[in-house]
Amino acid sequence: MERSIIHLNVADFAVAVERACQPRLRGRPVIVASSGAARASVYDMSDEAFSAGVRKGMPLFQARRACPDAALVDPRPGAYVRAMEDLSAPGLSFSPLLEPGQGDGHLFVDVTGTSRIHGPAVDVAWRLGRHAKSLLGLSPAWSVAPNKLVAKAATRVVKPRGECIVGAGEEESFLAPLSLSLIPGIEAPDLAALHRFNLSTAGEAAAWTPDQLWVPFGSRAFFLHDAVRGRDASPVLPPGARPPAVIETREFSPDTNEREVLEGALYTLCEQAGARLRAMGRASGGARLSLEYADAVRTPRQAGIKPASACDPVLFAAASRAMATAWTRRVRVRKMTLVFDRLGFFPAQMELFPDPGVRRMEKVCAVLDQVREHFGPRALQTGRTLEAT
Amino acid sequence: MIPLLVRSHFSLGWGTSSPDRLCARARELGYDRLALTDTNNLYGLWDFLSACRRHGIVPIVGAEVTDPETGRRAVCLVENQEGFSNLCRILTRRHCQRGFSLERAVKVFPEGLTVLTDSARLLSAWCREGVRTAGLLTCAPSSRNRLLAEAAQRLGVHLVAAPDSFFATPEEAPVHRLLRAISQNTCLSRLEPGDCALPDAWLAGSDEYTRRFAACPEAIQASHEIAERLAFTGPAPALVMPPWKEASGRDAAAILRQDAYAGAQKRYGRDLPENVVERLEHELAVIRDMNFSSYFLVVADIVRKSPRVCGRGSGAASLVAYCLGITNVCPVKHNLYFERFLNPGRTDPPDLDIDFAWDERDGVIARVLGEHPGRAAMVCSIVLFQPRMAVRETAKIFGLPEAEISRVTKKLPWHWRESAADEGFLDSVCQRPETQGLSFPEPWPEIMALARRLLGMPRHLSVHPGGVVLTPDAIDGYAPLEMAKKGVPVIQWDKDGAEEAGLVKIDLLGNRSLGVIRDAVDSLTENGAHLPDRWEPEDDPATQAAVAMGRTMGCFYIESPAMRLLQKKARVGDFEHLVIHSSIIRPAANDYIREYVHRLHGGEWDPIHPLLSDVLSETYGIMVYQEDVSRAAVALAGFSHAEADRLRKVMSKKDREHHLTDYRERFFSGAAENGVVPETAAQVWDMILSFSGYSFCKPHSASYARVSFQAAYLKEHFPAEFMAAVISNQGGFYSCFAYVSEARRMGLALLPPDVNQSRIAWHGRDRKLRVGLMAIRSLSEACRCRIVGQRLKGSFSCLEDFLARVRPNEDESRALILAGALDRFEDESGRAGLLWRDARWRKIREKPGQMELFRETVHGVKAPAMPPEAPLDRLRREFSVLGFLCEHHPMELFRGSLAKVWTVPAADLARHAGKRVRTAGWLITGKVVRTKHNDPMEFLTFEDETGTLEATFFPEAYARFARILDHGRPYLLEGKVEEDWGTVTLTVDSAQPLAATTDA
Repeated sequence: MERSIIHLNVADFAVAVERACQPRLRGRPVIVASSGAARASVYDMSDEAFSAGVRKGMPLFQARRACPDAALVDPRPGAYVRAMEDLSAPGLSFSPLLEPGQGDGHLFVDVTGTSRIHGPAVDVAWRLGRHAKSLLGLSPAWSVAPNKLVAKAATRVVKPRGECIVGAGEEESFLAPLSLSLIPGIEAPDLAALHRFNLSTAGEAAAWTPDQLWVPFGSRAFFLHDAVRGRDASPVLPPGARPPAVIETREFSPDTNEREVLEGALYTLCEQAGARLRAMGRASGGARLSLEYADAVRTPRQAGIKPASACDPVLFAAASRAMATAWTRRVRVRKMTLVFDRLGFFPAQMELFPDPGVRRMEKVCAVLDQVREHFGPRALQTGRTLEAT
Repeated sequence: MIPLLVRSHFSLGWGTSSPDRLCARARELGYDRLALTDTNNLYGLWDFLSACRRHGIVPIVGAEVTDPETGRRAVCLVENQEGFSNLCRILTRRHCQRGFSLERAVKVFPEGLTVLTDSARLLSAWCREGVRTAGLLTCAPSSRNRLLAEAAQRLGVHLVAAPDSFFATPEEAPVHRLLRAISQNTCLSRLEPGDCALPDAWLAGSDEYTRRFAACPEAIQASHEIAERLAFTGPAPALVMPPWKEASGRDAAAILRQDAYAGAQKRYGRDLPENVVERLEHELAVIRDMNFSSYFLVVADIVRKSPRVCGRGSGAASLVAYCLGITNVCPVKHNLYFERFLNPGRTDPPDLDIDFAWDERDGVIARVLGEHPGRAAMVCSIVLFQPRMAVRETAKIFGLPEAEISRVTKKLPWHWRESAADEGFLDSVCQRPETQGLSFPEPWPEIMALARRLLGMPRHLSVHPGGVVLTPDAIDGYAPLEMAKKGVPVIQWDKDGAEEAGLVKIDLLGNRSLGVIRDAVDSLTENGAHLPDRWEPEDDPATQAAVAMGRTMGCFYIESPAMRLLQKKARVGDFEHLVIHSSIIRPAANDYIREYVHRLHGGEWDPIHPLLSDVLSETYGIMVYQEDVSRAAVALAGFSHAEADRLRKVMSKKDREHHLTDYRERFFSGAAENGVVPETAAQVWDMILSFSGYSFCKPHSASYARVSFQAAYLKEHFPAEFMAAVISNQGGFYSCFAYVSEARRMGLALLPPDVNQSRIAWHGRDRKLRVGLMAIRSLSEACRCRIVGQRLKGSFSCLEDFLARVRPNEDESRALILAGALDRFEDESGRAGLLWRDARWRKIREKPGQMELFRETVHGVKAPAMPPEAPLDRLRREFSVLGFLCEHHPMELFRGSLAKVWTVPAADLARHAGKRVRTAGWLITGKVVRTKHNDPMEFLTFEDETGTLEATFFPEAYARFARILDHGRPYLLEGKVEEDWGTVTLTVDSAQPLAATTDA
């Protein structure tokens, strides 16, 4: 069956949201970065700032030198996530298969087989685009294509605004003249290798058979072979379809390599995640910690939790084990992401020899939750989190 | 109280204060005696002794020795000369002996030492053996040192108060923590308590210690009693000569005499001229009286076993050295001044420095060390924290990412200028033109402030490039040794320390150009050519003409832009003038150079004073050589030879300013006594001052000029062989890139690398230069050897044959293909096709896995269609792996962006003398100098397809453009063409980097 995937792409989403909130930012270059931090880095920037040489992750002082007349805005990740929800909300009335990105302005909607109810996919996309315009004051780039890959490539072509419709069967001819760098999923190492074979457009690469591609690219060949022809069977995954997990992140601004700060932040994240887990009535069986260093090196590590738990100190013990293997460098840490997954219900069967300490801590956590619910999250704090806040 | 456990910054990674600072602090605190006990070393001994003299403190020499197995420690304090030797032996064993046991070592070498320990076990063991020992209390008695106190009581020995001290004042504690974090490779917040000294480990006053040891006043008293015993205030000064032992038991002086005469007859024929005999006799007498005969014999013995050497330094002034084959320039013919090398008034040991081909040097040193086992070691050099290293290490502790650190450090000077130390470090860094455009947000100010405090501290020990000391008996009785990383024994003192200890150093240094000459000669012999039987390159007219025109890029010692410009201006290329030219080029001698060229071309001049007319007659009345300083001081101001020699030495010292005041007075009064008017004396003094920093003595320059001429001869007559040797030996003044361009300008054809033709090194023949495999970056040594080794069995027939026999890894294959070394196997799909076939070959060899199905068919997979390679892409890739282009000058890649701009080619600049022009060139080298007002400026060399161009960035232009100037990039320059004695330079007032274009 022919699929119809709509892709909405709001360029420089953080800037777009800020401009929607503060009209004074319109029509001038904008850099989103924490202004208070001495060593802040660029979170996002407008098109004008990009043209002046500003890039994501660049140290702020350097960005300001590249684009001295840019307005500086503090990032508000929460606001972007909410804006993302607002952006996706009308999509739900057209299809349950809706995949928003993480506060990044990308939205996929699978409207396959709904034309009899809602009209052609193009009309739906146009309506979603109009909604985005009323929300943010600017029309996003949007596309309709038979799959996610082509849809995304299509919005890249017309970005920052405009629309692009690729019909079924036109995927390959649509991609053929495009630069390989526009094909989603083909990253820098692949690009460099393709260029060494003098391949610069998707069409040139599409002339290769899978076994010819397999020779230099190995298992990547199958993806590349499909990608340059615009073939992609991946489904649009609504948030609920992903495995459940509790994700907490903390950006450090300024970045830091102070043990007290990092450990305090880790405990805070465990408390936040613990509270959410307890509210969901779930226990986690594993912690995954990812540290992102100031030089963009990432160290993901994990640790199991047995038996599964939602008690802060138990979560922290697991997170600390992951931390001990993840934090091995001297370079400052910019971002910490802590994920508790393998969620399950509390075991109905009680332990034969329960750890009395854990039992006590569980009670303390329950009381802490009640106090914080009544008097706010800062009403009671553990000592080690003071350093981090 | 006498502080007996004090560490300086020579306890690397722990202590923070210099011995001088500690002595000054001790004096402030009212101490009159002080011990320096660095951990496991005596690195700081000589600094400490001289600081004690300066501050009026009686030194106590010692070291803290730790046991690597048990972690126990002892503080060994020296009572007498024998104790000093024993301490050296214990330290040597601590570093060089596997399974070292502190307990055993002290038992073996107890004489002359007082040993303090905080281990009850060691105290008992040593007491039983009769070692003079005492219990070491670092803090007041408590439950922690109960065992020690009990043992001391039982054994009837003293307990001595000796609190640990690692820094002079409490304010240095943060620096200590920083050093600890650097050593532990961690950050400040992750330092564990045991990683650092206790926070009170500073050098405190007597009152403070009395307070800390209030419970045990007798321990304080004991420190006095022990100090009384330690009468040793440093090793007795005496020269330690290398030994010369011969079976016949003849006296060294007699053997030297015989050898010198035998050598003289080889050099001058059987009938020796009278002046030679006279001078030989004079030299031999001085050498005998000063007891240096064995030293000459040892050096001659080392040299005799090497085919190609070049004596350097003042030693080349010795006729004895010339006759023994140590040096190669006749001191009689060239009028070289022996007293500069040896004179009876000299108290410091002389230096006979010898150069060997750079790649033979390590072998020579290994041989010398092997022939004198246990009696020879190398001199160390102590590496200090310099600005770049200090800032880098500190910034790493603060967790800054590499890119951000190098952005700053690459703009910092390599070495620290004392004068800038008074201002804030960050301020002085910010004032540098190179750092314009950098900003220093938090935490940089803190980093800079801390890094400033690291400057000048020792960081680690490394090996002096060639200094070897030989002793008559076991060397560890003279100096403590350790093993350097490269596996040779080194003494714990640098060359100054070795000199203070009286150890005579022989410098065996590496010289690239001796390797170049050797390789070029080998190559031309292989090509069927040969050198004249009596090869006198300095008499060859063609060579002299080339030298006179400055066509000497690649020639040893005379290839720098400044030197070549001077050659061009002077327009003379004979030996005598070349010796003058290579000596007159000094940082502070610009005015004299100008005057010299003027006089050389017939400008009138009178001797500055009749007393000097003899001294300066051969150098047009201008002081050129280092020894002219001493000779002028003797002739004009009546200095003694020894005194004049000290003046010469002071000129090259870093702290010359305060010494010079005395000499100046002495010079002016001496000159007045000789009837010299003050104005003339002042002129001569100014000339003397131009020798500050570095300068050269005539014997040294003459010795090197010989090598220069050999190189110039080979360049002139065997250009391909010579340039191949220059590039292959690497490490010349210019980059490989610049030498390749020079070869192209010389009309040599550059043949690309080729797996069936290229050797590892570059190879030249018949005006053709074949790129060597060594030029291909990311090709491992092993792979190069495999290529050459496999080729002996037969040429490679196709790519697959090559891959199967050589088995390069993926990166190596790619580099070979992009460099063009496999072009002979190319088909219509070009280098991309080679890359694909390389990938297919790898797939076939891959271990069977889940792709088994494809493996069966991979042999049959046909190469896919590939678009043709854009010519510019091809060149760019070639440049990225080679660093140069075989068939083009990289400036040609930028012709596109220059199409609309009118520029003058480098070769045509002379036609625009006096005019403003615009030109484009590739930056190949540069040298920053300071003007009289201490403003930085730079001389830069650029080149294009047609030639090189010397550009001057005066301070104003330098301040504006320093931050954009980077080697190995093209620039668009504007400025005025200046002409001077036939040479052309560009005074730049505007520069901008040239951007690459995509159109060829």
